[in-house]
Amino acid sequence: MNKALLKNKQILIGLALILFVSTIAVFAPLIAPNDPNKIDALNKFLSAKGEYPLGTDQLGRCVFSRLIFGARYSLGIAVPTLLALGTMGLAFGTAAAYIGGRLERVFLIVCDIFMAFPPLIIVLSLVGALGQGLEIILAAVIFSMWVWYAKVIRTYAGIERAKDYILASKIAGCSGLRIVSRHIIPNILPQCIVIVSTGIAALILMVSSFSFLGLGFEAGTPEWGAMLNQARSSFYSHPRLVIYPGLCILLTSAGFNLFGEALRDVISPEEASE
Amino acid sequence: MFRYIRKRLTNLIVVLFGVTVLSFLLSNISPVDPAEAYARRILKSPAPQKIEEIRLKMGLDLPLYQQYINWIGRCLRGDLGSSLLTKNPVNYDIAQKLPATMQLVAIALFWILISFIPIGIISAVRKNSLFDHLIKGVAILGISIPSFWLGFLFLFIFAVTFPVFKVIDYGNIKSLILPSLVLAIPTASSFVRLFRATVLSNLNKDYVVYAKARGISSNRIVWGHVLKNSLPPIVTLFFQHLGYMLAGSAVVESVFSLKGIGLHLLNAVTARDLPTINGCVLVIAIIFVLCSILADVINMVLNPRITDKEEGLYE
Repeated sequence: MNKALLKNKQILIGLALILFVSTIAVFAPLIAPNDPNKIDALNKFLSAKGEYPLGTDQLGRCVFSRLIFGARYSLGIAVPTLLALGTMGLAFGTAAAYIGGRLERVFLIVCDIFMAFPPLIIVLSLVGALGQGLEIILAAVIFSMWVWYAKVIRTYAGIERAKDYILASKIAGCSGLRIVSRHIIPNILPQCIVIVSTGIAALILMVSSFSFLGLGFEAGTPEWGAMLNQARSSFYSHPRLVIYPGLCILLTSAGFNLFGEALRDVISPEEASE
Repeated sequence: MFRYIRKRLTNLIVVLFGVTVLSFLLSNISPVDPAEAYARRILKSPAPQKIEEIRLKMGLDLPLYQQYINWIGRCLRGDLGSSLLTKNPVNYDIAQKLPATMQLVAIALFWILISFIPIGIISAVRKNSLFDHLIKGVAILGISIPSFWLGFLFLFIFAVTFPVFKVIDYGNIKSLILPSLVLAIPTASSFVRLFRATVLSNLNKDYVVYAKARGISSNRIVWGHVLKNSLPPIVTLFFQHLGYMLAGSAVVESVFSLKGIGLHLLNAVTARDLPTINGCVLVIAIIFVLCSILADVINMVLNPRITDKEEGLYE
């Protein structure tokens, strides 16, 4: 399978994009030519030249440096949130699938209840009640999204649990916890990586759309969605200020989607069996 | 069959109950004391006794479960409180704004419906053809593109560079074409991916071989049998997305300045108009649950076999 992965061009392109954006995020202070928050009132809306590789924005800040630092926000929020979601999904999903019976039925009903609240609605409701803040956005995303991951993982774990080797390890005297952690989880890990990779792309889009709506970040944060929001009033005179941050979001989420979707094609049983 | 329906109905009632409880809890997490907020709205500087009086009158001193019962009673009578921003009853405001969003979502669903079925089937049947690869690329682009950005691109291309549409336009179907496309493209893209995979796995099943052996033309096999068998998972998803689009329309409405429920909700959040927020949350969640029932019904009509299969799942 590893050979198939390396031969797959789509996986390599996706991986290259992910590495590219991650490197930029880690080394942002070294790459950025200017301070992303330095306001230069005399040099508003400059076009690209020397000191400012992509020009300046409505407050005279260096667009290029702000885009570079934006990578930190997008990845820095999406990756840890998804790790939390993935861990919760694995814990609840495998537990529900393994224990089964009445507990699984209750779990499905809880899933149906939580799924009736779209993430944007939860975010709006929490921000309305508790006020702005990044931690509120994260809490809302986890609150509304965890069942999606738990439900998908439950399906995969359920398929795995029905296999004979689980019965064999039960007969051999393995404890439930050991079966889940040593047998079920390693066997559904490839599917989980697909979910995580496409999930990061979805989260990047979601968080940037929240900040585009003015939810979550303080004014002036160099986050891509927030930059787009600030640039929209000058959209018709300076469309590039809207184009650049959107392109960054697109490239980052495309990287994770290309990787995840190609991996799905490689491991998905229906298509692999042909 | 009837056992299945009965089971789905009990399930539905439990889910609806859970949804109202969760909505109620969400509307109660605000650190602002509602009695004090109300007192400050009607009186300039309310005395502490006055606030206590209002608290008693509004039933806010009761235990939480009794407050919930009172609240659900009011909701059932259609009383969601009145907006702090517009001073109108919340349900009146929602009834004013919802149709515009419904129209937008309906057109978006139309685009999705006419695109994903033919495209998904053709790229599954012609697997690894140029068409399939092209569609795959476009679909991945579609699920990766931020919808607000796509909206601005559309405005720039179709309203500024080539002025086919007006930048700001209200009240006709033409004004909804660009916004509905923006709303439709990400969902349509993910549906194409999913539908192609479902059709592919169906093409490998025994019944296709059997149909071929009976001499049925491959066109009829694909567009009749395979299509019918591939639809159920996507029908469920389709109605789920209907509910999500009602909420997701906030982004599109914001880009195109459409006066729908999404923008209304967004304005309410900016003004911290809690009754409006809570009313909208409840209404959208309930629409979502109703959509999932509709999906179940359609699946049952399309494919009665499901009712036997799924019985084990909820057992």
